[in-house]
Amino acid sequence: MPWPSKRRVIGTKVPRLDAPVKATGRAKYSFDINRPGMLHARIVRCPHAHARVKSIDTAAAEKIPGFRAFHLLVKPGVELLFAGAEIIAVCADTEEHCEDVARAVRVAYEVLPHLVKEEDALRPNQQGTLGGNDPNVGPGGEFATANFDAQAFQNVAHTVEARYGVPVICHQCLESHGQVAEWDKDLANLTVYASTQAVPLVAGQYAQYFKIPVTRVKCITHYMGGGFGSKFNPGPEGLAVAELARKTRAPVKLMLDRAEEVTVGGQRPSAAGTVKIAATKDGVVRAYEVDCYGSPGVGRGATVNMQYLPYVYSHIPFIKRKHRVVRLNIQTARAMRAPGHPQNCYLTDQALDDLAARFNPPIDTLQFRLRNLPPNDPDAAKNAPLSYLALRHTIYTREIEIARKLSQWDKKWHAPGADKGVVKRGIGMALHTWGGGGGVNNDVRVTISADGSVLCQCSTQDLGTAERTVLAIVVAEVLGLEPRDITVQIGESPFGRSTPSGGSTTCPGTAPAALNAANAARDAFFRAIAPRLNAQPGDLVIEPGRVVNRGNNEGMPWRQACARLGQNTSVGTGDWTPGLSLQGVGGVQTAEVAVDTETGVVRCTKIVAVQDCGLVINKLGCESQTAGGVIMGLNYALFEEAIFDRTTGRQVNPNMEFYKLGGIQDMPDIVVHMMDMPERGVIGIGEPPTIATCAAVGNAVFNAIGVRVPNAPFTPDRVLAALASRKGNR
Amino acid sequence: MKNFTYYRPTSVDQALALLDTRWGTAELLAGGTDLHDLQKEYVAQPSRVVSLGGVNGLGGIAANDREVRIGAGVKLAEIAAHAAIRKHFPGLASAAGDVGGPQIRNMGTLGGNLCQRNRCWYFRDEHTNCLLKGGQRCFALEGENRYHAAFAQGHRCVIVNPSTLAPVLIALDATVEVQGPRGRNNVELAKFFRAPTGPTERETILAPNEMVTSVTIPVRGLANASYEVRQKQSYDWPLVQAAVSFTRQDGKVNAVKIVLGHVAPTPQVAEARGIAGRAVTEDTAAAAGRAAAEGAKPLSQTGYKIRLIEVAVKRALLIAAGQKRYWEA
Repeated sequence: MPWPSKRRVIGTKVPRLDAPVKATGRAKYSFDINRPGMLHARIVRCPHAHARVKSIDTAAAEKIPGFRAFHLLVKPGVELLFAGAEIIAVCADTEEHCEDVARAVRVAYEVLPHLVKEEDALRPNQQGTLGGNDPNVGPGGEFATANFDAQAFQNVAHTVEARYGVPVICHQCLESHGQVAEWDKDLANLTVYASTQAVPLVAGQYAQYFKIPVTRVKCITHYMGGGFGSKFNPGPEGLAVAELARKTRAPVKLMLDRAEEVTVGGQRPSAAGTVKIAATKDGVVRAYEVDCYGSPGVGRGATVNMQYLPYVYSHIPFIKRKHRVVRLNIQTARAMRAPGHPQNCYLTDQALDDLAARFNPPIDTLQFRLRNLPPNDPDAAKNAPLSYLALRHTIYTREIEIARKLSQWDKKWHAPGADKGVVKRGIGMALHTWGGGGGVNNDVRVTISADGSVLCQCSTQDLGTAERTVLAIVVAEVLGLEPRDITVQIGESPFGRSTPSGGSTTCPGTAPAALNAANAARDAFFRAIAPRLNAQPGDLVIEPGRVVNRGNNEGMPWRQACARLGQNTSVGTGDWTPGLSLQGVGGVQTAEVAVDTETGVVRCTKIVAVQDCGLVINKLGCESQTAGGVIMGLNYALFEEAIFDRTTGRQVNPNMEFYKLGGIQDMPDIVVHMMDMPERGVIGIGEPPTIATCAAVGNAVFNAIGVRVPNAPFTPDRVLAALASRKGNR
Repeated sequence: MKNFTYYRPTSVDQALALLDTRWGTAELLAGGTDLHDLQKEYVAQPSRVVSLGGVNGLGGIAANDREVRIGAGVKLAEIAAHAAIRKHFPGLASAAGDVGGPQIRNMGTLGGNLCQRNRCWYFRDEHTNCLLKGGQRCFALEGENRYHAAFAQGHRCVIVNPSTLAPVLIALDATVEVQGPRGRNNVELAKFFRAPTGPTERETILAPNEMVTSVTIPVRGLANASYEVRQKQSYDWPLVQAAVSFTRQDGKVNAVKIVLGHVAPTPQVAEARGIAGRAVTEDTAAAAGRAAAEGAKPLSQTGYKIRLIEVAVKRALLIAAGQKRYWEA
């Protein structure tokens, strides 16, 4: 069954159903779970960026009051590659005793050389610091279009070659990583209250680890406080706490503290490099060359999406790219809200604006983008006419036009640096793209009871989609009810299958399943009550709040109809089916800044985010997700940076004091426009709105002061340095 | 944090009797916004914590024509909102109102603001054994020092003093009342701070068994202001702060005092040149700013603070003189 063509609830603005319990603190996050007789655990970590464990002595720790158990995570002799690496988990009766126990564990280390800065690792003949013969710097891919070297920069009017960079940042989940684990008396069944974005997956991972049937693991995540891609598995801390719960036969809680959350809870890798870009005299970009590197920490992955450079402008005729992976003695990268895309966007959109500025007079960067938009793909237009590839030119053109109006672009844009005064204003733009499709293995179950109540269940988690509300809206639409009439239960693995919340797939994965389940429940309901109404099931239809018999045009209120179920309930189940969701979005953002050229302080005053999203389920939720993405991107632009000390190898700002995050006074006016395209079906937008923000802010700063600040975040010292370099040049 | 015994005395003498003759074993607890952080990080590990919450005589703001006396236990939020302080010392009111966020200002006290430990990220990392914790070196000297001193010369430890009330109070010729085993003592606030170099020294001249009980500011009709350059508007430390005061007659200013914050291990009294006997204009204020930054010896990452000192001084002078804030659009 397709989406209803006339939609009463879907696409309206529905406040989160769980807003009151969240706002009042009644919602219980994993961090809030306290079980009877619960013990506490924490992990002893290596303070050195690179060290070999010589010995682990627990004799003193065992004598600490309240001590209950250890769980060894590494053996003496092992080489640890970053500060914060796990050594041993300890368990005690209180949090305080647990800390005392952890501190009483004596670990002897052989401290080994480390590298925590990209520029140090890139020095020639650098000794490896990753154990064995592993070099710190390795290839991350190379590509060039045909005849690049011979032809790319021929017949071009302007060329820019410049360096750009973004640092390693941390996920900084407000609720840190962690679990409460509890076994039953026979140690046969495990319940885990996990802060995770993958409820059934995590249940399966525990089952696999402990070699027990997955039916004996219950993972519960009723509420979770942020994951951003860093909470797909139990992690060493999650497995350790379940081990300790088994050893002690008691519930045990282990949540990372803030410093742990920052240093081991996940990072987005850095990206930096040289971009050479050139355009013909008509302002058409002909060539894009990038030689970049970035650090996934001790991980091995590339830090940009190589195949997607130059990002949305993939049609540029001559492209050459090279990436190097710089491995450092810091935690390994984890997926973070649109992995690789913000870096790609930055390495592309900054260079575009620098190139537009080379023309005389400088080209308006909005016009420059319009001139260089990727065309709609004719093959895709034939085979998949609703796809991003088939529509991208159309989508970006429409979005740019909306952004132009909402940002008052024509009034605000000026030649770079042309604004007068001490505080210079500027405006910038950037474009992004993302997938966001749904898929199978999302079980939704809808139960209609005789008292008129409706229950909707799915094991999925609310990572930020306002998932309870999404499911309630869809079910309410089908059953002629209001979202608040639907009781939604999520975040429990026994409810069935659901896919991890990654890739902006949760809403497009579960909303179609909810539609199918609600349709099935309604049909079962009609079958059950039709005989009692002397009607054929096919004659019954739903109207808002009513069930109507088309046979005699008689209707009755919903609850009265439900009462005909007697002792029965009507149940419908559904999974995702094709045709109800799609993937592939564009997105355009503009940023306005005011740069104090005496202090270098950048304030972002307004951001316009235009986001296409297919069929909108909850407009308020979509707007909220987009605003959240913008805020995250703004922090990437102005504040966030994981800072490591070369000598100690330790992160100096594993906190929220000097790992800076904007507060309410630092927030701009955020104007969100959801560009509905209901004919495309549901598309997830959790990730895309955070991609373009940093690049748009960077371009706004350039527009304001007329000189590029090459590295984010755009801190006062960097802005002043950029301004000074311009003065030096002239 | 390490276990400790909690004491709640009711008088200053009782509180003093609980202190020790060496640092580290006993700590005074006022708002707790600094001490508890240090304890949680195991940088402070006192066995005795002496709460000042029940001590009589530490609260209250007493204002008359000659002076304003502020008890050490007065909360920052109260200072920021107090009518006499806003009237006579707008620089102090603004500095107090800009500290941290509302939660910090509702807990943090005047005495705590003056006596708080520095924010150096090496000092506050338990695993980094810096000079102030008995180690052999200052890690900031050659390390990550973007928030450290710009007047670093002569210092083995290159922290900046974190108090933003201190520069204003020094510019206003405030005195601080210290009580200890030898009784009561009034100290010019300008002489209250010191640059610590090891575990037996702190950021003030207080002995381990002394405490601040009040601050007194003379009312002399000085124009005054404080200006902070901050990266974030919500909840951030200043990168550089300038506090100024001066007398005014016939449109000309005299007795100009300039005190800088967040540029040196102590609040830095700068020489006021290029402005005395003249009117405050953008030009004279800028000249005074340049003079104030003279002699700075920045670290590898604090060169930018020189420019910020110039600007902060200029803007503070203009604010104190009631001139147009040209940087506010």
